Amino acid sequence: MNKQSPLYLAIFLAIVAAIAGGALYGANSLTLPIIKANEEKAEKASLLEMYPDASIDDFTTVDVADITPDHPFVDNVYTYGENVVIFKCSVSGYDGGTVFLVGIDKANDVVDAFQAISNADTKGIGSKITESAFKDSIVGKQASGQLDTISGATYTSTPVVQAINECATIATEIE
Amino acid sequence: MNRMQNFKNGLIKDNPVFGLYLGLCSTLAITTSLNNAIGMGVAVIAVLILSNVIISAIRKIVPDDIRIPVYIVIIATLVKIIQMLIQAYAPALNSSLGVFIPLIVVNCIILGRAEAFASKNGIFDSALDGLGMGLGYLLAVLAMSFIRQLLATGALSMTNPFDESQVLFHLQLIPEDFTISMFSAPLGAFMTFAFLAAALSSYKQHIQRKEDEAAKAAKIAAAQAAKAAKEAA
Repeated sequence: MNKQSPLYLAIFLAIVAAIAGGALYGANSLTLPIIKANEEKAEKASLLEMYPDASIDDFTTVDVADITPDHPFVDNVYTYGENVVIFKCSVSGYDGGTVFLVGIDKANDVVDAFQAISNADTKGIGSKITESAFKDSIVGKQASGQLDTISGATYTSTPVVQAINECATIATEIE
Repeated sequence: MNRMQNFKNGLIKDNPVFGLYLGLCSTLAITTSLNNAIGMGVAVIAVLILSNVIISAIRKIVPDDIRIPVYIVIIATLVKIIQMLIQAYAPALNSSLGVFIPLIVVNCIILGRAEAFASKNGIFDSALDGLGMGLGYLLAVLAMSFIRQLLATGALSMTNPFDESQVLFHLQLIPEDFTISMFSAPLGAFMTFAFLAAALSSYKQHIQRKEDEAAKAAKIAAAQAAKAAKEAA
């Protein structure tokens, strides 16, 4: 075949791309399990902050494929022990919103633990959500009932509280 | 000798960053800490050597019309593989370098060396050229991040890239009250770059002047010798 013909060039490029694709497939199947394990480990490390007495293997990851279409704020769900369901949620706020973990005791409908991971709202106002006062105000309360928001920081705290209420409902559906 | 000269040129005189002004985007962005600089530098060296070797190996069968797309496919594949390896084995490095790992694909050093060197030279020479240019890049980002990290945080520190919690060394050289945080911002990056590029340029001029003077002196000496020979005759 003529080396200048478009067909030859196209075939040549296709072969190069196919070889590249094969190499990528190989590298991906080699590294994907390690990357997945790393990500899960990093996630679970933040769970340990909330439950310092637990070990990483105590948390079981729940498949969120059925939950996220109706509740888009839920990022991940874990179970801990028999009754506790832990939700990782990201909700919008005044500016950047809040990412937090909440553990719900589904048998007693109680907020078992709370941990704010990050808040990107106004420093000193919305960021109060990460302080222990808010955590103390909701831990032990009825998860599906009325929870206190932070006065002066309602833009930040209302979505968080609403998300916790919704999580309480989702928790009852998780086995 | 010539090979060694090529290799050395990449390090100092034709340093890709300060001499040829290539690959500036990543240089300015990631040089905030020594960890980032070493991670990025090693990734670039790996991609550069491998792409140079592969492109040099296939240089005779690649049709001229489509050589650039072929090079880009090869480089992109290598970068993606390196990125996956970093993600798997050095996740902390991956999150701090972020988008600049995939952007190695469009780093002009790599395509530049493929087009200017590897497509015309043998495999061994190309690998050596890749190593020299890559080390030149590593040297440049290390110099930048050394200055920026020192001035912005007052400390020089490094952690093990494979295990974030393991601190290799941490030297607080400037008290925290006297640090200049501007140097971790883009403005500091541009200023550091400008000073280092100016320093290399003046060094090159200095060498050039020395060579000129030596050539001039040799010329005068030759003329005098000729005159003396004439008088003697």
